[in-house]
Amino acid sequence: MISRVSTSTDRPWRALLPVAVVLGVMAFGLTSSGYVVTVIGFAAIYGIFCTGLNFFMGYTGQASFGQNAFAALGGYGTAILCGNHYWDPLAAFLVSMVFAGLVAYLVGLPTLKLRGHYLAMATFALGLITYEISIEWNGLTQGYMGISGIPPLGVWKFELANEKQMLVALTLLMLLGVWISVRLRDSRFGRALRAIAGSEPAARALGIDVARYKLAAFVIAALYASAAGSLFAHFVGFISPEVFGAAMVIQSFTMLFLGGIGTTWGPIVGAIMVLMLPEFLRGLKELQDVVYSMALIALLIFAPKGLAGLGSLFARRPKAPVPTPSGAPARAIAK
Amino acid sequence: MPDAVQFIQSLVNGVGVGLIYGLVGIGFCVIYNASGIVNFAQGVFVMLGGMACEVLLRKFHLPLPIAFLIAVPFVALVGLLMEVLVVRPMWNRGSPLFAIILATLATQIMIERITILTVDEQPHTFQEFTLGGPLKIGAIAIPYQLFWIVGCGALMVGLLWLFFTRTRAGRALRACSQNREAAALLGIPVGAMLLLSFALSAALGAVAGILVTPMQAIAFNSGTPFGVSGFIAAIIGGFGNAAGALAGGILLGVLQAVAIVLLGAGFKNVAALTALLFVLFLFPSGLFAGLKPKAH
Repeated sequence: MISRVSTSTDRPWRALLPVAVVLGVMAFGLTSSGYVVTVIGFAAIYGIFCTGLNFFMGYTGQASFGQNAFAALGGYGTAILCGNHYWDPLAAFLVSMVFAGLVAYLVGLPTLKLRGHYLAMATFALGLITYEISIEWNGLTQGYMGISGIPPLGVWKFELANEKQMLVALTLLMLLGVWISVRLRDSRFGRALRAIAGSEPAARALGIDVARYKLAAFVIAALYASAAGSLFAHFVGFISPEVFGAAMVIQSFTMLFLGGIGTTWGPIVGAIMVLMLPEFLRGLKELQDVVYSMALIALLIFAPKGLAGLGSLFARRPKAPVPTPSGAPARAIAK
Repeated sequence: MPDAVQFIQSLVNGVGVGLIYGLVGIGFCVIYNASGIVNFAQGVFVMLGGMACEVLLRKFHLPLPIAFLIAVPFVALVGLLMEVLVVRPMWNRGSPLFAIILATLATQIMIERITILTVDEQPHTFQEFTLGGPLKIGAIAIPYQLFWIVGCGALMVGLLWLFFTRTRAGRALRACSQNREAAALLGIPVGAMLLLSFALSAALGAVAGILVTPMQAIAFNSGTPFGVSGFIAAIIGGFGNAAGALAGGILLGVLQAVAIVLLGAGFKNVAALTALLFVLFLFPSGLFAGLKPKAH
């Protein structure tokens, strides 16, 4: 996957095409009504979330099954500060992000020392703990009832009055998020992350402080998740524990794997496609989560590179992964 | 401050639930030993067992033993299907560890949603195996179901022990857990062993689910707490060690019971999950490390 990452200089059209597609989708959203706008807005929010997740899983080759915890922190931070305490949305957004980042740092210190199953289970537990707390801490989160009446996004006196203005803001924020991720990926920092994904001992031998870089990637992923959570709260005006439950983990992983893990635009493309899916499967609303899970399993089995792998069908033939009889348990994702 | 009676009562309940965790934990170990995979959907077998049994009792009015004998093989079959349709293809392709974990997690969500569609979202329960009770010892009440749990738990552990030490298939499974390549070279069908381990582990989960349903109502999403608790039990016991998992389960059950008394019922899962993190951070190879270290 690393070899496929092309920097923006060698093929300019490749770098600009996704931007054009995203702007096209947004334009489509602006000309259509109600529900489509909502779906595209969600796609932008999930796109931000998955871009963060991609940092930790795609570039750094680690696994976190509990990023929903940080989305919940962002969402509840915004809901409580704006809804109950009438803070300025931007201030609440930033304070929630800082808080989520701080929590990620403190939690990441011991957690990221774990590997394999233990890392997976520990991060999964983080998500579950946050979920349980958001249900049980009634005084703060209003439990299952959730928090409603969260004001829309805005800065000082300017408030985004309708969904379409919100959509423009979300798309711009998402593009900003992607731009930051590209800048980071192509920096010294990003190269260090990819070295860790390739081989931890090798990275260490090159003088990379593996633990610190992993932690940094984890915190960045948490910042993105928190931002996505806050935006969700503003966009919908209501949050409840279910929003940030285990289904969110599966949904975001479906997006990441569909679009192509470890690629810049994969998370965005995946988010758009996964959220559009119910539109084409009207009447199957009930089956939505079943379809997501089955799609994810099928992707993991047959096309672990997702749509990004399609490109390589037309380009130079990539080296096929050599199957090992002893099975995988020992290798990290996104080699 | 809770009085002594309340405290002892919660310990009694804790041991009962803890045995269930232990059984689920053993289920984790069986699959892990055979394949090196941790099946994150382990808890869903508990839910399915309880749910299937409840539906058979309520809709088809079957007697409990018959419902039990249908529900357990049914869940074992689900375990088999999961191995054939999800884990085996990934295994053959040499998928990365995290992808396999994710696939088992997705399977769990899928089974939960299918349960909602085919049964419903409500919690279900059925009456205790033996009516009457609870047994009163002074001020402490012991529900009859607890004796069933202890009895069946002991029976299961005994049968498992016989299986692993006395039968060819059980020994082959143990050989696989020690060294898969060597086992294959000795002519042990490693693939079939993997299949067997999933069926066995699913059946174990189903029995645990049927035992616990009269004490705690089971809903479509009850699997995750049991799965996570079972995983914690397995870790406390040093992953892959069945006896350790059972002991770990009881320890965890008691800890949760104490947490319920001190913090209220709502935070019992938070307490268990926090315990998980502490065990992971401080004792990554289990509290009884040294017996069979297998951390990684």
